[in-house]
Parts: sequence; structure tokens; C-alpha cells
Amino acid sequence: MEDWRRIDIDAYDPESGRLTVDDLKPPYPHILTLQELQPAIQQLRSYTSSGDFSAAVQLITSEPPYDADEQAKSQYLTGVLEVLTQVRQADIANIIKQLDRKQQDALIKYLYKGMSIPEGQKHGGILLAWFEKLTQVAGVNPIVHYLSDRRTV
Amino acid sequence: MSQSLRPYLTAVRFSLQAALNLSNFSSQEVERHNRPEVEVGNTSAELLLQPMHIARNEHEQVLIEPSVNSVRMSIKVKQADEIEQILVHKFTNFLEQRAENFYVLRRVPVPGYSISFLITNKHTETMITEKLIEFIIDFMEEVDKEISEMKLFLNARARFAAEAYLEQFVY
Repeated sequence: MEDWRRIDIDAYDPESGRLTVDDLKPPYPHILTLQELQPAIQQLRSYTSSGDFSAAVQLITSEPPYDADEQAKSQYLTGVLEVLTQVRQADIANIIKQLDRKQQDALIKYLYKGMSIPEGQKHGGILLAWFEKLTQVAGVNPIVHYLSDRRTV
Repeated sequence: MSQSLRPYLTAVRFSLQAALNLSNFSSQEVERHNRPEVEVGNTSAELLLQPMHIARNEHEQVLIEPSVNSVRMSIKVKQADEIEQILVHKFTNFLEQRAENFYVLRRVPVPGYSISFLITNKHTETMITEKLIEFIIDFMEEVDKEISEMKLFLNARARFAAEAYLEQFVY
């Protein structure tokens, strides 16, 4: 073995204290699949089609799918983007005023995630309007919470 | 400022304010080293924070990648056609070759973006953070204007040159 100086011996030490991405995620007893999340998505659809956006935003921010798998999360996010982009600019401020701090934290996660995928980038203007209204109400707080929160939507 | 540019810059400003909260942090792997954790291949996931994407549309985006002692911020400048692509490339290249004069500029942009900044705790300790954010926001405002100005100038020049050249064929 020529390259023994480059061997990473810490990797073999179980007590080295290194953390992987998976270590940082909170342990969920059960990971939801797409089928199990489907009722929530259906509920969201029905709110959207009836035009009850305030209730829809309350729903998505009070029960974010933190414990779902990637496929389910992306499906859910599509529904969320549908809601967020259909709300009229004038109503955004009123809806955000009804949210508590936990819900604000969840909303900012949807906004950042939405802006990272092409479907959300098409509606960048309206997502940024949400963002601006949210910062007017809550300042920099939800963003700071977002940075260190390992639960993703 | 146009109606949709303001929320974009506000979002970038708030995100940077949140992200530029850096502390001095020695490397956990190499003794007596102190390196920007966002740049090095990292075996400790806890040092990196959640990345933030801010998009105005498909062509104008910002990616902010925070970590415990450094923030990497990448900007995708609007490039509507091939001339603008060339201009943006030349312009950012020009700046990157003089990166040490800008302190926070990264020499190579992150793939997919036009220009990147790397801000470490050294910078936030020696400079005023608010001014640093102000500089980046200013830069984002100016670069669009600069590019479209250059494009107009280039077109005018090309027209003049073409006219001068083609005149000799007129009898």
C-alpha cells in the first residue's frame, strides 16, 4: 500500500463525531409515501378549485410534509405552487397576517424550494411578492430559522 | 426601479442579512487550517446550512450557499440573446481576472451562474456587513444596466462599421 498517508483513519473511528446529512435529519418513525400523502394533496386541490386560498395556505403551512419521501414532497410542492401563484397580489398581505411564527417558517421553505425548480421560476414574480410581504411582517426571522432547520418541504 | 426588480433585490438583501452571520471557525480536519467550509469537500454536514434559491425568472437567479464561516453567492445575469451571452461572459471574466481588488469576488463562477462572490468571516470582520450587502445589491442593479448599455453601443458601432465598409461597393 503506497498511499497510506492519505488514508482517512477518522472515517473508521465510530466516535470521531462526524455527521452526515442523514444524521442531521430528525428521526421520523415512518416516512410517508405518495399514496399516504394523497389525501392532503386532494384537500389542497379542492381548496384551490373553490378559491378558498386562505384556508389552503393555512393547511400547507400548519402541516408541512416534513416526514414524506422526495417524490411525495415534489408532488405536494406542485400543489402548493398552484395555490401560491393563484392568489391575487392584493390578498397576499392579509393571508400572511393570519399566520403564526411556525407557519411563517414553513411558508418561507416553500418559497425557497419553489424558486429552485423550473416550475416555480416561471412564476418568480409572484413568489417574490409573497417573500416581500412576509419579510414586511416578520423581518429576517423566518429566513434565519430556514437556514439552520434541517426539516425540508 | 422597475416593479418586479424591487422584490427581487429585497429578497436577496434579506437572505444575505440572514446568511452573513459568520464566525471564525478552524478546520475540523486539518490542524491549524482555517478554510471556507462552503468551498472544501466537506465530511461534516453540520457545517453547511440550507442553500437559498432566489429567482426572478428562468434567466435571473441568485443562489446563496451559507456555511458556518463563509457564504458563497452566485448570480445569474440576464442573457436574452447571443450578444448578451458574450458580453456577460467578457464582462464577468474581466472582473474575475482582477478578483483580488474586489476582495469578495470568486475567481470562477459556480457552474450555471455568471458570477460568484465568496464572503468569509475575515471580510465581515474587517468590513461593515451592511455596506457589503449594499455593494452586492448595487452590483446586481448596475450589471443589467451596464450590459444593455454595452449592447446598444456595440450595435451602433457595428452599424457604423458595416456602413463604412459597404460604402466602397456603391458606385
